[in-house]
Amino acid sequence: MTIVVGYVPTPEGEAAFDQAIKEARKAQSKLVVINSSRGDALVDKRYAGETEIEGIDQRLGKEGIEHIILQPVRGHDAAIEVLEAAEAHQADLIVIGLRRRTPVGKLIMGSTSQRILLEADCPVLAVKAG
Amino acid sequence: MSSSPTLASRLKGRSELGVALLLGAAGVLVLVDAIALVTPYSQSDPVGPKTLPYLVAGLLIVCAIMLAVNVLRGGQGEAEGGEDVDLTHPADWKTVLPLVGAFVANILLIDWAGWVISGTVLFWGSAWALGSRHYIRDGIIALALSVLTFYGFYLGLGIPLPAGLLEGVL
Amino acid sequence: MDVFSSLMDGFATALTPMNFLYAVIGVLLGTAVGVLPGLGPAMTVALLLPVTYALEPTSAFIMFAGIYYGGMYGGSTTSILLNTPGESSSVVTAIEGNKMAKAGRAAQALATAAIGSFVAGTIGTALLAVCAPIVVKFAVSLGSPSYFAIMVLALLAVTAVLGSSRLRGFAALGLGLAIGLVGIDSVTGQRRLTFGQPLLADGLDIVVVAVAIFAVGEALWVAAHLRRNPLQVIPVGRPWMGKKDWKRSWKPWLRGTAFGFPFGALPAGGAEIPTFLSYVTEKRLSKHPEEFGHGAIEGVAGPEAANNAAAAGTMTPLLALGLPTNATAAVMLAAFTSYGIQPGPQLFASQGPLVWALIASLFIGNFLLLLINLPLAPLWAKLLQLPRPYLYAGILFFATLGAYSVNLQAFDLVILLALGALGFMMRRFGLPVLPLILGVILGPRIEGQLRKTLQLSAGDPAGLWSEPIAVGIYILIALILLWPLLFKLYRRNRPAATPAGIPVTSGSSAPRDATGSHSHSSRSGGEPSDGDGDG
Repeated sequence: MTIVVGYVPTPEGEAAFDQAIKEARKAQSKLVVINSSRGDALVDKRYAGETEIEGIDQRLGKEGIEHIILQPVRGHDAAIEVLEAAEAHQADLIVIGLRRRTPVGKLIMGSTSQRILLEADCPVLAVKAG
Repeated sequence: MSSSPTLASRLKGRSELGVALLLGAAGVLVLVDAIALVTPYSQSDPVGPKTLPYLVAGLLIVCAIMLAVNVLRGGQGEAEGGEDVDLTHPADWKTVLPLVGAFVANILLIDWAGWVISGTVLFWGSAWALGSRHYIRDGIIALALSVLTFYGFYLGLGIPLPAGLLEGVL
Repeated sequence: MDVFSSLMDGFATALTPMNFLYAVIGVLLGTAVGVLPGLGPAMTVALLLPVTYALEPTSAFIMFAGIYYGGMYGGSTTSILLNTPGESSSVVTAIEGNKMAKAGRAAQALATAAIGSFVAGTIGTALLAVCAPIVVKFAVSLGSPSYFAIMVLALLAVTAVLGSSRLRGFAALGLGLAIGLVGIDSVTGQRRLTFGQPLLADGLDIVVVAVAIFAVGEALWVAAHLRRNPLQVIPVGRPWMGKKDWKRSWKPWLRGTAFGFPFGALPAGGAEIPTFLSYVTEKRLSKHPEEFGHGAIEGVAGPEAANNAAAAGTMTPLLALGLPTNATAAVMLAAFTSYGIQPGPQLFASQGPLVWALIASLFIGNFLLLLINLPLAPLWAKLLQLPRPYLYAGILFFATLGAYSVNLQAFDLVILLALGALGFMMRRFGLPVLPLILGVILGPRIEGQLRKTLQLSAGDPAGLWSEPIAVGIYILIALILLWPLLFKLYRRNRPAATPAGIPVTSGSSAPRDATGSHSHSSRSGGEPSDGDGDG
């Protein structure tokens, strides 16, 4: 069994990650952590740095969860990266964090979570922060 | 330079010969143009309009020859780096050509369709070429920039950019 | 006290609400472009040249000067926080600055950079105010022969000294001079290089050329080699310095200023050499040499002061002689021309109020920069999250707008694209951009002086060296051109000298000599092959 979690260094992302650990422990499953960037800005705050990735790695190691950490930078949106990772690893569950968006913001920016919810082939668990 | 050059590096060296060719062509062009000038000698202007062109043509042709020699002997121009430049991968024509396309579209459209339309096409097309895929957001930004600059230039600088198709609307 | 009263008048002009507003806009824009990747002050001023159609010259130059100084401040922010120096003048800052930031001392690095820039900029501007009139007094006595010689010197110095390959520098210069030839010859009315095209009769507009080479060429070049991996920005709070940092910074600031100003004022001196010299000096004089390479504050304070003092130095020949010594100054000179103002020693006489308002605005700009940089540094770092597609699409957008607004002709955009392609090619094959721009701007003026000189001497070439200053300058030119040859001879006679590129490590027995060879190697070390420029 495999769980894919979309990770971003924000409260929503951390909440999703915490939930993913719980799910992975419960189901004794492998965890695929995916943190992507479109790579189109010099600095991307949603792209985790070395220390953050190390922290994730250590925490999962301590929990004894088999895991892979992916950080693709291919110019794709996060939704595509999560969906592709889910397909490639034949995920049984996708865990994502939700943040509050205004209708206008959603129209202009598009919604990563909405796209994952609609297009995923497996169940999606959406978590809110705090 | 120490070991035998690979095929790729040799090709790269060859492409720089194009620069030498361009310099030589420019030099010949300047030279031919200068020869064609007819100027009677005048006391008030002993230098005349031909002197500098001759010097420039000479400089260009000498540079062209020396560059060709330099390249054939293994010299290579250093590509310019920069904080946003990654020279480890080869030139990405899939980005540059659509970008030039957006630019050309703007040239063709600007007088007929007007700046607001052609500028929107230019910005949106450039953003797309550079990898942005937020079509709606890009469109809104492009249109806003075009309209703002249209009025900014008209009201602020007194420069009437062409309104084109939207004449009367703006 | 003539200088003082003129300067006070300048302050009065520069502090009118409108001009003050443009100073604020200038420093804000300047800092932004300094921080943003891919944008520099030269490109920004080029993109803003269309404002010269509507703005008063004083306001426009106050804004341009703000952009120039602001770019120097902003460049240090990215050097320190990201280790990606935006301008060549902040390369040295990145060495120690980024190490300091990684060691958790980003706040102190930013503070010493900002305060050092302020100190150096203020002293440099004061030196400018004092020196420029002296240079002018000397320059008005010069005739056409000396003028011709000085301009040739400026062109050749930039071409021969900067960049890694002299040959490629001269190639760029030739292209620039050729572009400058296009149009109707002002003396005889002959059409040169117009190919029967009436739109070319007025010559290529300098706005179009500058925008094409700096903005379009750069945007295309970056697009072809876009960096795809995001960098990690080092989080930073409000910049501040402790007592110990102040104690370690103030001397490097002053020494950096002393290096920066004269080099900035020299043709081809630029900001790279003084920042490097300052770094080497601080390393040698430091009481904490072991900290160098691990984030020594002196290594940030000195070079940052040097590059800002160099910026002030650059203004001296620009205002006093009409000689640009770097890209931004070249574009500002284009702006003078665009207003129909004759740059040169007459500038102080004919445009006195403008010049003094400009100098006063440099003091004001420096102060504003300190205010907006110290508390707002974290905010500026946020600019780095701007997606690249928007940044470069925006550059192309405004480049088009600027070039089109010159004549409202689509034809200019065709030229813009063609010259943009030329700029792309130059970056690809290592032809430096600066000689080309200087060739375009100075070429026609050099030709004018040459004709005037020979007209006065009735066609006798001896008229060219009829003034002692001119003779002196020709000797200097010969030295610059023959320099690589002399240097090679010197090296051949001393084969045991340290190989270039390897800096002398601690405890060297011949410190003075090491400084010399080190700085030379930094300039010639990048040369791809020997026998490049002097065959």
